[in-house]
Parts: sequence; C-alpha cells; structure tokens
Amino acid sequence: MTVRVDPENNETRALLDLVDFTGKHVLEIGCGDGRLTWRYAVWAEHVTAIDPKADAISRAKENLPDELKSRVEFHQFTFEEFSAASEPSSFDTVIFSWSF
Amino acid sequence: MVHTLEEIQRLLKSDGCLIDIQPLIEAPLLKVYQRDPEVFVEPDPSYDYEEDLRQADAALTQVFRRGLFVIEERSKFDFLTHGSSAQELLAFWGKTRADDNNTEEDSAEQHIKQVYNRIEEIRQAAGPEAEIALHERARVIRLAPNLRKEELT
Repeated sequence: MTVRVDPENNETRALLDLVDFTGKHVLEIGCGDGRLTWRYAVWAEHVTAIDPKADAISRAKENLPDELKSRVEFHQFTFEEFSAASEPSSFDTVIFSWSF
Repeated sequence: MVHTLEEIQRLLKSDGCLIDIQPLIEAPLLKVYQRDPEVFVEPDPSYDYEEDLRQADAALTQVFRRGLFVIEERSKFDFLTHGSSAQELLAFWGKTRADDNNTEEDSAEQHIKQVYNRIEEIRQAAGPEAEIALHERARVIRLAPNLRKEELT
C-alpha cells in the first residue's frame, strides 16, 4: 500500500461546501504536488497554483491530468514573488491551504 | 502573515473570496487500526508547529480588526493520511531528515523516530491487516474582502 492522503475526501467536501468554482479564476497558494488542485480544478475556468518547493511543483506538473492541462498552470514561486508581479483584482477565489 | 493577507485582498476581485484551510491548534493523532476499530491512539510526537498556528490565527484576528476581510462561513473536518507502516508515514511527511546516517541527529528527532518505531511494533502486533493513520483536525473558512476595501487602500 502506498500512502493515501484524505481518501475519505473530507477536505474536498468541506471545500466544495463553501465554494462554487464554476467559471472561476482561482489562485492556490501552497499547492504542493497538486493533491488538492486536482479535486476542484475540473469546475474552475482557470487555476494558477504556486508553491516555493521545486520538487513539489515538478511532481504536480508531471501528474497533471491531460484533461486539466488547458486550465491549470503550476509555478514555482513564493507568494511574495507572485504577488509583486500580479495585477490587482485578478482572481475570484484564492485558496490559502496548509500554509501557516 | 498579515502582509500576505493584505496582498491576497489586493489580488481578489471585490466579489471574490479567500478560502483559508489550516489545521486546528491541537496535536495530530497517530492511530493504529484493524479495519474500522482503532486499537491504539497516540499524539504525534513531531507536532512542533503550535506557535506557528497561533501566530497565523493572530494575523487573521488582526486583519479582521482592520476590516480587510469578513468571515462568511466556516466548518471543520477530519484529515487522515493512511499508510501501511509508521515509517512510511514518517517518510511521506518528511518529519525527519532523510539521511539516516546523520550523526548530528538531535534529541527531538530521535524521540520522534523512537515513538514511530514503537507504534510500528504495535501495528505489527495488531495483525497483518492493521494499518496506521495520521489524524489531523482542520478548519476551513470562507472570507470575503470587506466592502470598505477602497476606503482602506
């Protein structure tokens, strides 16, 4: 058996109870290897997912399902780097996940 | 953290929302279970980020007081990571350094490994189908940029 993270989908259910992602432009901060991204991106218009860890972003890009490639992009950035280069009022939803 | 929340507010559309998902301020539990019944539960010895969580909560409180965001909804959930052995979980979450030959391993790290080793012994004693899970409690909050955004910036 390999490690299974939240196979019960408790986190996904809690997230989808609070947000309707349909047609939304989403920024995910601290996306890691995309574990959470896959679970909501199918509904979003576009997802920009960032994480400062190069190995995590590499895994996320490698594992990005074909059907999500047109709407999800992963970048190795700190939030400070990303924010400094971003226009105001760019996103409908920002997910700040396990990044305390 | 406060600056991060300020920047998030800047990047959000006025009708957008911030979803903040963080663990609760309590030690995760390591659980050995055989199918459904739990046969052993112990706090995770690697829990060392309580102060970070408190600071994150304090930052949220500060931005509420300044009127940057308002809470719209919140809920809690159980977040479990399952593994077939304690060492597998330990390696997955990177709770100790990967290099087992590190001679400068500190006492805290030794303690973590000892506890995980002990829990692995309990798992093996519980039977061939026994598994282990790291059980964290977490909360999710939906926050909206305050309508006073323009006045404050």
